[in-house]
Amino acid sequence: MDHLLQLLLNGLAVGAVYALFALGYTLVFSVLGVINFAHGALFTLGAYFTYLLIGGAVGANGLIAGLQLPFALPFWLALLLAGVGAAAVALVVERIAFRPLRARGSDPLLALITSLGAGVILVNLIQLLVGAESYSIPVGTLGSLPVALSIAGAKVRTVQLLLLAIAGVLLLALTIWIDGSRSGKALQAVSEDPVTAQLLGINSGRMIQIAFGISGFLAGMAGGLVGLSVSIAGPYFGIGYGLKGLGVLVLGGLGSVPGAVLGGLIIGLAEACVPADFSGYKDAVAFGFLFLVLLIRPQGLLGRPLAEKV
Amino acid sequence: MSAPLLELRQLVVRYGSITALHGINITVQAGELVALLGANGAGKSTTLRAISALIPAAAGDVLWHGGSIARLNTERTVKLGISHCPEGRRVLARQSVADNLALGAWLRRDRAGIAADLERCYGLFPRLAERRSQLAGSLSGGEQQMLAIARSLMAKPTLLMLDEPSLGLAPKLVAEVMAALAQLHRDGLTILLVEQNAQAALAIADRGYVLEAGAISTSGNAAELLANPSLRAAYLGEAEGAKPN
Repeated sequence: MDHLLQLLLNGLAVGAVYALFALGYTLVFSVLGVINFAHGALFTLGAYFTYLLIGGAVGANGLIAGLQLPFALPFWLALLLAGVGAAAVALVVERIAFRPLRARGSDPLLALITSLGAGVILVNLIQLLVGAESYSIPVGTLGSLPVALSIAGAKVRTVQLLLLAIAGVLLLALTIWIDGSRSGKALQAVSEDPVTAQLLGINSGRMIQIAFGISGFLAGMAGGLVGLSVSIAGPYFGIGYGLKGLGVLVLGGLGSVPGAVLGGLIIGLAEACVPADFSGYKDAVAFGFLFLVLLIRPQGLLGRPLAEKV
Repeated sequence: MSAPLLELRQLVVRYGSITALHGINITVQAGELVALLGANGAGKSTTLRAISALIPAAAGDVLWHGGSIARLNTERTVKLGISHCPEGRRVLARQSVADNLALGAWLRRDRAGIAADLERCYGLFPRLAERRSQLAGSLSGGEQQMLAIARSLMAKPTLLMLDEPSLGLAPKLVAEVMAALAQLHRDGLTILLVEQNAQAALAIADRGYVLEAGAISTSGNAAELLANPSLRAAYLGEAEGAKPN
């Protein structure tokens, strides 16, 4: 029983990160109809930003070897700023890789390639600057919080709970914003019918920027949280999450916000149920599950049937 | 005489190598209801899209109170007071009736004015009031058209442009929509009405223009156009020379 609770909480924590990640994809997808392949790189950036801001030192390889900021911020502030930093980079990606194509009226699918290019550039830039070694965020970062808590007899790492809580708050805030606010509804309008949105006086370029900004913020926060929870396994560590996030997105239904959350939690739980001896098969379980669901519901769990969209 | 509210001067619009409008001239005075008639593909929608800056003018000019607005973006034209109710209604199917109307007032910040206009819209189309919390996609075609018009009104326009509001509606609903437009016109709103249903449009219009293959072929006041034999033949479904009854 204790074991089950532990499993559940771990699964939910991992799933919540997947959900955060997938939500970032979803936001951009819903306004532009394309996947931003630089999203994984923004996640990675968020992790490195967090590491630097809490006072971590850069390793011996890379252009800024040995760099350490003269201050060390508390973790929560570092995480927040990392989100803001990733959001800023997301806006640059939008400016460079998306907007020029839109201005020329090119096929939106071309943005897949340009965003992939932007992602590759970002990842390589990170490697150039800080090298390829892995970094881990020290245990003491959380200050006076204990490393693990005992809940109903189950031992759970504080980090996991923190992850779950922060992800939960962000998901909730985003849902409330999209469904309950004027600007959230304007974003939905751009997503449903860009021309009509324009005729209502909604500046679709601005809404697209907002979507990218929030998307980058979520990716940066997710990266910082995962960096804290497991470690930053080098500049490429966002790629695995990027793929998993895509899986989550498709599982939940493209463009569906609740779908992204549900998909994330399901994949996280499915992975958590893989016994430790077989942990190498985690991805197989996650993607196998995705495969099965798509056989039965090609539009994803909460997605609209494709015919309606066309 | 002061400048007209809207004036298209030698307006040319091209889609790639195809010229959709060959230098048309149209004026709309404040308070008028002007019908823009013509067959499919004559360039009616293109004209509205050019005024709304959804497509650029290749040559010529669009004047608003005498000043050029041909280089503005769509958001700016809405701010100026031009509200464009597009062809095919294009309501936001996944949002409620009330949310659609709220987004119609996107650029406005005067809460009291917005609330008053909302009540005015519900008064004009009582069926929308009954269905205010329903998803727009679940409305019938006629209700969606009413919603589209009401949404355009929520911008508090100086000029309301409608693109084929009668399209696909049963005759009774066409009459209902036209009666609402006539009411708005009587209340002083300036309207530019694009229609294939010339009879219905001219019945409420002050003046009309007929577009043929991207050029104005005929124009005049509504009564003249209704009596014009070649127009009757082309758009009112009568053989040329047939006696009007």
